[in-house]
Amino acid sequence: MKQFIYADNAATTQLSKAALDAMMPWMLSEYGNASQPYSFARKPKKALADARAAIADCINAQPDEIFFTSGGTESDNWAIKGSAFSDAQKRATITTTFEHHAILHSCYAIERLGYPVAYLTPTEEGLITTPELQTIISDTTRLVSIMYANNEIGSIQPINELCEVAHSHGALFHTDAVQAVGHVKIDVQRLGVDMLSASAHKFNGPKGIGFLYIRKGTTVSPYADGGAQEMKHRAGTENIAAIVGMAAALTENCTAMDEHIDKAYRLEKRLLDGLCAAHVTFSRNGGDNTLPGLLSLSFPGADGEAILHRMDLSGICISTGSACNSESTEISHVLQAIRLDESLAKGTIRIALGKNNNEDDVDRIVQALLRIVGQEVQ
Amino acid sequence: MRIDCVICGKVNLDKDTIGINKKLLGAEITNYYCMDCLADYLGCTVQELLDKIQEFKDEGCTLFK
Repeated sequence: MKQFIYADNAATTQLSKAALDAMMPWMLSEYGNASQPYSFARKPKKALADARAAIADCINAQPDEIFFTSGGTESDNWAIKGSAFSDAQKRATITTTFEHHAILHSCYAIERLGYPVAYLTPTEEGLITTPELQTIISDTTRLVSIMYANNEIGSIQPINELCEVAHSHGALFHTDAVQAVGHVKIDVQRLGVDMLSASAHKFNGPKGIGFLYIRKGTTVSPYADGGAQEMKHRAGTENIAAIVGMAAALTENCTAMDEHIDKAYRLEKRLLDGLCAAHVTFSRNGGDNTLPGLLSLSFPGADGEAILHRMDLSGICISTGSACNSESTEISHVLQAIRLDESLAKGTIRIALGKNNNEDDVDRIVQALLRIVGQEVQ
Repeated sequence: MRIDCVICGKVNLDKDTIGINKKLLGAEITNYYCMDCLADYLGCTVQELLDKIQEFKDEGCTLFK
């Protein structure tokens, strides 16, 4: 029987046992609405406050700067649209061409409403540089939104420096840190960001829950009108179980972060060494500073989609940077943004190792890759 | 054009078999396998290949019937 190996932890992660255990009481016995004034609502209300404080602590924020959302997509939509709609004078937004679609499609939406958006192009290593931001930012810029780390190639951006440029022009700075929170140390004070998006299922929490950090004093339009939840900025009865699960998962990951990072880099090295030892020709995308465990690898002349499906037949889950539609092979917008040569882009896969992977998994991934890529290039 | 299995010689491979060969071995291939030989070559079962074919059809891939 095939051994199942999950190596697509950038797409989603397995719910941690600690998160599940933390969630259970809030789904069965403690189902009260935290907004109600009676005593049955006291426990969920306290759980909500405790979760908010725990999450704030993990990113060095204040509890009232954490706004719960349904996940990264909602957080990104809120940051882009909420800031665009909040200032009649400063209407321009700057983002990048290799953001997640939650950012890009939100930007296209505000463009259709007449708000100008400019798009920065990353370097071939997948970096946004401060000189490039300097060239297009102006005093009419309301928001600069640049992702913390790219979800396909893992490149980590110089957020602190980019943030300083934005602030020097009176603009807000948002970062989509969905891929980074719970995997690398995030300190919103040190970064200086005004808003930051996160999603629980990327750090071993439940799906359908996330948060947007909004620095105190930042003016952003409410996301949803209705009740007074989330400090009157995001109406809707809170999903206490998911919120508590998210807090438990993030706390667990942050507590063991150094250990997880060391392990991820060790596994990465083992995988790359295994390919090099077999003299496989490949290149790694994303530059020198990438998310731990995330490997975007390009095999010249190979077919990334074929590799993905054949790895799947071997019981291994990975991702690819190109996908076949009915007419042709479509290269992902990220690989296009870094101007990766087409023959490399078509042969690009993403392996995202997580805290539950081990050396044996990596050895099996290498063996499967060698078998597939070796056969493909014959 | 008639395409036969490069291993066992099974004649006139159908569109789904040719499609799954292209999907799993690359669009530029010139040698094709029948379902049994392809499963053997890839170390999987024919049923797993049939499941893949169904998924590709559900996605609307025109390589299949």
